[in-house]
Amino acid sequence: MSTSISLWQQCADHLQSELTPQEFNTWIRPLQVELKNESICLLAPNRFVREWVKKKYFDEIIELFKRFTQGNPPKLFLEEGTTIVSPVMVATQERPKAQSSQNFGKASDLIPDYQNNINALFNFDNFVEGKSNQLARAAATQVAQNPGVSYNPLFIYGGVGLGKTHLMHAIGNLILAERPNAKVVYLHSERFVADMVRALQSNMINEFKRFYRSVDALLIDDIQFFAGKERSQEEFFHTFNALLEGQRQVILTSDRYPKEINGVEERLKSRFGWGLTVAIEPPELETRVAILMSKAEKVGIVIPYEVAFFIAKRVRSNVRELEGALKRVMANAHFTGKEITTEFVREALKDLLALQDKLVTIENIQKTTAEYFKVKVSDLLSKRRSRSVARPRQVAMALAKELTNHSLPEIGEAFGGRDHTTVIHACRLIKELQQTNANMQEDWANLLRLLSN
Amino acid sequence: MSTQLALPLGLRDDATFDNFFLSTNQHCVSALRACASGEGYPFIYIWGQQGSGRSHLLQAACHLATQKNRSSVYVPLGTPELTPHILQNLEQMNLVCVDDIDAIAQDKQWEEALFHFYNNMRESGQTLLIAGRNPPQRLGLNLPDLVSRLAWGVVFQLHPLSDEDKLAALKLRADQRGFALTDEVGQFLLRRCPRDMIQLFALLETLDRASLQAQRKLTIPFVKTVLGV
Repeated sequence: MSTSISLWQQCADHLQSELTPQEFNTWIRPLQVELKNESICLLAPNRFVREWVKKKYFDEIIELFKRFTQGNPPKLFLEEGTTIVSPVMVATQERPKAQSSQNFGKASDLIPDYQNNINALFNFDNFVEGKSNQLARAAATQVAQNPGVSYNPLFIYGGVGLGKTHLMHAIGNLILAERPNAKVVYLHSERFVADMVRALQSNMINEFKRFYRSVDALLIDDIQFFAGKERSQEEFFHTFNALLEGQRQVILTSDRYPKEINGVEERLKSRFGWGLTVAIEPPELETRVAILMSKAEKVGIVIPYEVAFFIAKRVRSNVRELEGALKRVMANAHFTGKEITTEFVREALKDLLALQDKLVTIENIQKTTAEYFKVKVSDLLSKRRSRSVARPRQVAMALAKELTNHSLPEIGEAFGGRDHTTVIHACRLIKELQQTNANMQEDWANLLRLLSN
Repeated sequence: MSTQLALPLGLRDDATFDNFFLSTNQHCVSALRACASGEGYPFIYIWGQQGSGRSHLLQAACHLATQKNRSSVYVPLGTPELTPHILQNLEQMNLVCVDDIDAIAQDKQWEEALFHFYNNMRESGQTLLIAGRNPPQRLGLNLPDLVSRLAWGVVFQLHPLSDEDKLAALKLRADQRGFALTDEVGQFLLRRCPRDMIQLFALLETLDRASLQAQRKLTIPFVKTVLGV
């Protein structure tokens, strides 16, 4: 066996001396070797690499094999694939018995070794809390402290870049801190699908089932990507049931409320709502400032409060873009050696700020709001005062105050020449309704998301 | 399948960092150099109009990675025969440079594939460079998950060159090809020909070949004859 590997090594060395480094790196280096009985199988990472190698290098590889074995080469195949069976399920090795009095944690008896994919950098300590995410955070903490017992499944939903994945990893980390032997697995839904396909191809579907049904906590991110993948949904459905029955924790995230996920079976959607469903909203200004200060501090850079405020006021859409903006500022400061001031930031983020300003105009707000409530923009500007028009108009005014720097008289003017006191009234009313009316809360959040993405 | 084999996933030999006229883009270039060596940011997005040097820089990063003995691949998404399969398992590479992201905007399959690929690269700890004509938020992508990820890393804009810089860039390129371009001839080209760098460099190549063939120096009359202007 080892001779076959050294044979390939010999062959690769030869090709390396013949090809340009670029060619070698792109086409030959990614090939993996698999030994099947007496033959050698070269695995190309994808179809393109396989076809390319087949056409350009395979004949030469066969020739080299012949030469290095004095005309007695092993059979050689070139296929698409990888020797890594599954990124999550690796090797088999017994682990120490878990110390747990509850059902939770029992799965870790005699389990195969695995990769939990939990990122140690995401924990509760560095999750910046604000109004927009405190409920989700509280629920996550509860679940992490009593996995499998308190809320099962925990379903976290919200727009992109608001911290769903961060919370998930934080739960995983806390569970592992309290029960180091617990078998916690985090993965993106796409990985679940890919793993399943791979397991089916390599006749390992039973191992796949056993593995996922044996975990103590299963954390699956972005469940909306299950849409349209029926076989995976079917498999996940059974896994989900098995875990819930065994009081193992399931945590899911999605970009929308369970019932709104298209392309996912009804029975799955209804199960998603069995435990607790919590939303994460886009962070409000104060939280955005706090996030920036905390991120900067983490890398040992102090940014003045007014600078953080300046960035937070302008980058509203999500935490990822906020972080991206901060990274740019820090990169620029690093290259130029200049101090980070508001002026410096204005220059460093020039194009980004132009983009945000351009995006959120009163016209844009009117257009988006009208579309959202299915009324006409002209209705918003008209004198009509029926509820079906007045409410969207008030929402649009409140949004204009929140998202632009226009004065109240300017906003009134832009809405068909209304008085600024009308704008003030609209802002107060909408704020109140957000506290008392769940629909309004949802509409407001959706519109904010639409306007700032 | 055979048409797909004509894919030019290879690199232009002269697309190196040394060959790139820096102008006001030196920060971006320093960051990309670090990236290619495996020492910089794990993800960078660069954008700029056509001819601003995006493809040159991505290919230069691959060349440098190769010199540093790191595996790399250059994937120009504008190539019509490409399908999202190309991204499968590419996270095994140390550096992946994805060019012309504009080409796949609003293609659901591609956008999702790129999103998953981004996640896989992040998980595997390798370096990813992506380039396009517009900043992430203005690419017209449908998948917000992808947009927010592109905007998560360091984003650089490649600034277009001023006329003065264009002249300097042409002279640098001529110099590296071993012939002299006078200010006069350079200015003539800038005044009379399309002024984006891709076309200017192409002209320069035509002129270089013509002057070699005719054994003549690059003078304005000669340039006029060759280009027919």
